[in-house]
Amino acid sequence: MATPIVETVNLRKTYMLGKVPVEALQGVNLKVEKGDFLAILGPSGSGKSTLLNMIGALDKPTEGKVFIEGVDASTLSDNALADARRKIGFVFQFFNLIPRLTARGNVELTMTIPGLGRDKRRERAEELLETVGLKDRMDHKPAELSGGERQRVAIARALANNPKFLLMDEPTGNIDSKTAREIVELVKKLNEDKGVTIIVVTHDQQIASQTRRTVLMIDGSIVEEKVN
Amino acid sequence: MKTSDIFSYAFGAIRLRKLRAGLTTLGVVVGIAAIVALLSITQGLQTTIGDQLQTGFATDTLVVSTGRGFGMSPGAMIAAESDFELLVNYTQIIDEIEDVDLSVAVIRKPGYIKSGEREFLLTVVGVNFAKYADIYSRTFVAERGDISLNPENETVVIGKRISDPWKNGTIFSNVDEVVEITWTNASTLPPKNETYSGHVAAVLKEIGGFGVGGPSDTNVYIPISQAQSFFGIDECDMIIVQLENDDDTTIESVSEAIEEAFGGQVNVTSSTAVLDTISTIFSTVELFLAGIAAISLLVAGIGIMNIMIVSLMERTREIGILKALGMKSRTVLSIFLSEAVIVGLMGAALGIASGWVLANVVARVFTGGGFMSAGNQAAAAGGMTITPVLTPTVILGAFAFGLLVSVIFALYPAWRASRLKPVDALRYE
Ligand SMILES: Nc1ncnc2c1ncn2[C@@H]1O[C@H](COP(=O)(O)OP(=O)(O)OP(=O)(O)O)[C@@H](O)[C@H]1O
Ligand SMILES: [Mg+2]
Repeated sequence: MATPIVETVNLRKTYMLGKVPVEALQGVNLKVEKGDFLAILGPSGSGKSTLLNMIGALDKPTEGKVFIEGVDASTLSDNALADARRKIGFVFQFFNLIPRLTARGNVELTMTIPGLGRDKRRERAEELLETVGLKDRMDHKPAELSGGERQRVAIARALANNPKFLLMDEPTGNIDSKTAREIVELVKKLNEDKGVTIIVVTHDQQIASQTRRTVLMIDGSIVEEKVN
Repeated sequence: MKTSDIFSYAFGAIRLRKLRAGLTTLGVVVGIAAIVALLSITQGLQTTIGDQLQTGFATDTLVVSTGRGFGMSPGAMIAAESDFELLVNYTQIIDEIEDVDLSVAVIRKPGYIKSGEREFLLTVVGVNFAKYADIYSRTFVAERGDISLNPENETVVIGKRISDPWKNGTIFSNVDEVVEITWTNASTLPPKNETYSGHVAAVLKEIGGFGVGGPSDTNVYIPISQAQSFFGIDECDMIIVQLENDDDTTIESVSEAIEEAFGGQVNVTSSTAVLDTISTIFSTVELFLAGIAAISLLVAGIGIMNIMIVSLMERTREIGILKALGMKSRTVLSIFLSEAVIVGLMGAALGIASGWVLANVVARVFTGGGFMSAGNQAAAAGGMTITPVLTPTVILGAFAFGLLVSVIFALYPAWRASRLKPVDALRYE
């Protein structure tokens, strides 16, 4: 079998709250193959976001390893980690768009960072916004968009650099259920039609039921795995 | 990330906070304006003083006055401590000294000149026209009429500004006209006005400067003998000595010889010494202004730092997003420094422009200080023109300085921004 796109080995993360250690992750072993669509479920505080941050090279584990396409992220320098992040697409619960940039500007920014030329990034941004159904909203700033529209911009942005996988942390957490269903459809189509690997953290059973696989986390450990 | 993209991102961030960026820039503008105004005026002054060297300040002359201090104005001569009097005919003693070419006694008194209905207060100067013209061959020169070398008692020579006081062609008095010269004799009780009619033989060409003992645009010249009888004195205010050359050794030896000849009761000043004093004063003023400029730039720098730290906190989340998108720390650093560069460049550009305007306003105030309005004391200064000079070096220097200050003070906040950890920045509320 090919190398998994993401693999964690005995991953631990301990936060220090003053002198009290908080063990957010207590030895997580997880493998994600290319083309997978994985949902991470679990109660609040169980360590889902912490796990996602490790996988996304946003944070470093206290112990254990994260392999991204077989490369041990803990051995990478800050610069190399930044490079690795360019190939990972993030979608956050609170959108995290840059308020002063338009939808197009936000998507373009992602491609500006690796130094893509102006014309190319413009063209691709428009193409991506069209894919997520925002053809007529390209010149709107986030404040002028609905929650669902903002999350679509965020998804378009996450896809801009052809990421190896998408990480979504409660992407529908701030969106009404009808819009959430549309977002789920969109994400599912990305996985099925374009083969995008997706890892999504969610409370939303409706999302979970659409994925290929779910894992359940409790108190910093994966307690249950299920293939849909 | 491409440099052009970094700058346009930074520019966008600045544009979002126009007022704040404007106020930050203002600090730089004030500092740079002060420096530019200062430098362009100083350069202008240097040019003016350079000109004076050739006209008002003959370097091969000495000024002999009584030991009561050096007086540029007649008023300074009042306080008397000793009975020593510098007499007009002491020039004969001075002429005997080695290396002395010739010497001329000068009597200066405040007086009125009246032509038609108008009357002005000014300085009446009594000199030997022939000798005076010999020493100041470049400035004691007639523009109209002739300076008679063997003048009648009534002969009067007037400065350019007395002929044309308003600089607009309205002539107060001209060659061949008759003027009334009035002097208030305060030594009698009650003070008495003495008047005589003079005949304007010549109007001097414009001198446009200030000098020690040398001709001025705002003086009226009468023959020394006439001055002696009119003012009723044999004492003069100063004796100007023309040397054979302007070597330091000559200046020194003649100065000593003159002091010795009068038993140390006189004060000998060389024009060079006066120039030195003036340039010392100027460099003090310059230093003072430079201090102000430096302080305002320091304040501007602290303002930049303060504002950047505030904006850093506001933009923590943005930095987190940028890092999550794969931006490297050094690019974050570049973005923040670029913002400082933009502020610095705009501040410098505006500062140079406003400094130039400021310099011209100051120069005009200096130069335009009315001659007749402020009386004859100000008139001497009124003749001095400063034209501010803005050299490319100053412009480049101002840009460099504005940049340097803003970048230096932005370094710390920019560094802190670049060091933020992506998770922490994203969690920041
Ligand atoms: N920076 C931090 N400092 C200290 N403790 C932290 C930090 N981040 C997370 N934790 C703790 O680690 C534990 C796991 O947090 P995490 O955010 O991963 O939970 P979660 O599963 O994503 O919860 P939710 O569903 O509410 O988002 C929590 O107990 C939390 O308080
Ligand atoms: Mg979470």
